[in-house]
Amino acid sequence: MPMIRLDEVSFRYRGGTEPALSEVSCHIRPGELVGLLGRSGSGRSTLASTLNGTIPHLVRGDLRGHVHIGGQDIRGRRPRDLADRIGFLFQDFEAQLFSTNIALEVAFGPENLAVPRAEIVRRVERYLRMVRLDALRHKLPSGLSGGQKQRLALASVLALEPQVLVLDEPTSDLDPTGRRDLLDAIQDMRSGRSLTLVIIDPETDEMGWMDRLIVLDRGRVALSGTPAELWDKDEALEALGVKGFTLARLASGLGLRERWPDADQAAAAIRMAGWRVDATAADRLRKADARRAEGEILLEAKDLTHRYPDGTEALAGVSCTIRRGEFVAILGQNGSGKTTLVKHLNGILSPTAGDIRLLGQSLRGQPTTRLSRHVGLVFQNPDHQIFAERVRDEVAFGPRLQGLSEDETSRRVDEALEAVGLADSGHLDPFVLTKGSRQRVAVASTLATKPEVIILDEPTTGLDHRELLGMMALIQRLNEQGHTILIITHAMAVAAEYARRVILMRDGRIVRDGSTREIFANESSLEALGLTAPPAVQVANRLAVPALSVDELVGCLTRATNPPFHQSTAG
Amino acid sequence: MNLFLYLDKESPVHRLDPRTKICLLLGSFVAAVLFFQPGPLSALLAVLLLYGVVGKALGNLQRIWYLLVSIAIMSMVSWSVFTQGSTPLFWRVTWEGLRYGIGAAIKIDSMIISGLIFLSTTRTEEIVLGLIRLRVPYQAAFAFSLAIRMVPSIIGTAITVTEAQRSRGLDLESGGPLARLRKHIPLLVPIFLQTLRNTDQLAKALESRGFGARRERTSYLEIGFRSGDALALSLGALLLAFFIAIRFTG
Repeated sequence: MPMIRLDEVSFRYRGGTEPALSEVSCHIRPGELVGLLGRSGSGRSTLASTLNGTIPHLVRGDLRGHVHIGGQDIRGRRPRDLADRIGFLFQDFEAQLFSTNIALEVAFGPENLAVPRAEIVRRVERYLRMVRLDALRHKLPSGLSGGQKQRLALASVLALEPQVLVLDEPTSDLDPTGRRDLLDAIQDMRSGRSLTLVIIDPETDEMGWMDRLIVLDRGRVALSGTPAELWDKDEALEALGVKGFTLARLASGLGLRERWPDADQAAAAIRMAGWRVDATAADRLRKADARRAEGEILLEAKDLTHRYPDGTEALAGVSCTIRRGEFVAILGQNGSGKTTLVKHLNGILSPTAGDIRLLGQSLRGQPTTRLSRHVGLVFQNPDHQIFAERVRDEVAFGPRLQGLSEDETSRRVDEALEAVGLADSGHLDPFVLTKGSRQRVAVASTLATKPEVIILDEPTTGLDHRELLGMMALIQRLNEQGHTILIITHAMAVAAEYARRVILMRDGRIVRDGSTREIFANESSLEALGLTAPPAVQVANRLAVPALSVDELVGCLTRATNPPFHQSTAG
Repeated sequence: MNLFLYLDKESPVHRLDPRTKICLLLGSFVAAVLFFQPGPLSALLAVLLLYGVVGKALGNLQRIWYLLVSIAIMSMVSWSVFTQGSTPLFWRVTWEGLRYGIGAAIKIDSMIISGLIFLSTTRTEEIVLGLIRLRVPYQAAFAFSLAIRMVPSIIGTAITVTEAQRSRGLDLESGGPLARLRKHIPLLVPIFLQTLRNTDQLAKALESRGFGARRERTSYLEIGFRSGDALALSLGALLLAFFIAIRFTG
């Protein structure tokens, strides 16, 4: 008997014109691991929400068809009635935690189900140990890192001992270590007992360990199969707005048809197939880097220190220099001080000690607006700033505050909307736009004030594959047009492919600062900071090629005219 | 940054049963509303500060001193100006009006400090449990605890939104009162919408953890009356009786 059975499930949101799900049918076996993929708006989250009755009980609309969990039709059951069978882990770890103490957070679910106290005590111990938070139990939940908070949320769901666990983008806000620790905890817990998992994650490369991947498109199942079956379906996946497997793209670029579980095996197989490093191509890459000389020093931070009123030191003496025309990625774990640093560069925060110079001039004692005119900061979540009823007015907010004439403002709004690809959307209400487009509105709002430096805090979080590519192409174009760009990101592939310089931060300090190639060539120093190189770079490092993307890597390899033998190492 | 008031410390006040602390809180409110003269109100304030010292809660005072001082000044100024009296000091301010203002200032600040000590030494979950044992329905008690939880989350959102709009050039410090009020629209709209979104997310998280699934629920926390509670309650009752006595005897 399947654990989850969907029979022709359709759903239309109240007020929606198109159905979000159309006659979706599928069976999921007990203990099966299923990954849900699809572009934003394809119905992934909608499908997940039908599994515990969130749809239709908390989200209104027209639901048809039948959902069976463990053989029982759940129609009419509220999420709370299903809480002991289906656990839900959401992306926003802050909103899921509401207790003042770690143990109480885990106890909350079992308390609601009137589990006897002795049993609650046992579960609190067991699940805190499973997510490796038992040593931190004296801490306040608010004092945990992002990754730890998400693991606490996981423990508090597991304490209900559900048979099915649904994870809706649980790692999107986490750094690579936080992500790996969470996935490890999930795998640990499966070794103990049968648990059916349904995971939504936009990162296809992380889905290799699933039993089955289901790709949704416009509310229908468009593609379904094991990771091995979808391995070389790069084009089909891209057509559905989903990223393909990076290593598969590399394999097909080299004309190989095999499946590699990791970078070590990929590198070995590539050598085996007779591919050699083309030394001149590698040199060309390095020379191209050197040719891009940067301009004068725009911003200079000297020994910046920032202490919050409660005594935490968010910055502990940071010095760095930003030149005109640079493209810099700031990397580091959650809480390493990245966001605090860029808030100083933009003047929103003032340093407790140290100084910022703009074009050689100290800004001590200057009004903060002096800096923000030159340095624009796009915040992580566009919903923290969008307030106007029309996109145009939203974008015009900055220029109007600068006291520009309506003519000039209007010209700048047109330019900015054109630059972000929203020229036709000026009259729309920003809230009808997708997350990706709202992110673009936020970028346009900053662009319209014409800052020389544009800083973007996590510009790709929450975007699907295509939106991500569009956003990064936009940022790259701005850089080519002369804007100096700084991005903060957890997406290592984005940093590797687009940035030319990388600043690594830990505990409020800059620990490394260098060209992207140098930084990513040294994997062990990245790992010491809890970061990982993206798959393509890992393979490149094993082949001693300074490539930062699949395309660069393929360009740096050459096949000997007569390979010794051609062997397939598929397995 | 910790936006909750609760201080995770070991103290005799922390160890008290939440019901005891709720009674002491209510008792201090009764004592405060009994009086108008600065004398007995100062005595009450002194008792409260002593209670706060024992509960290691006064560290939180620095987080609200601004509020306490502004309330004190507002109250002294407005009562001085609007209360009639027979002993003129200067302009239209009389000695009686000033005394009344000082009394009102101490009264309001005492009530705030008493509430602060309560929240600094009692976990939200303990408050909920205490209220349930006092026969408040669980749903209502939990709603109360959510309200307490909402405050820091709204403050957090407000800080982020303010920073985002300031980085776009919004200057909240200049302009007349009307202009300043209008400048808050770009702050209020995102704060309001984001709070709605957070609330929606919280509702989903609560439901999926079984909130409200059973009529009865069990509790991981254990509370109960101990000798400390008896001592604290009798001390509190004695003090309240003393205050009532001076109020009605002269």
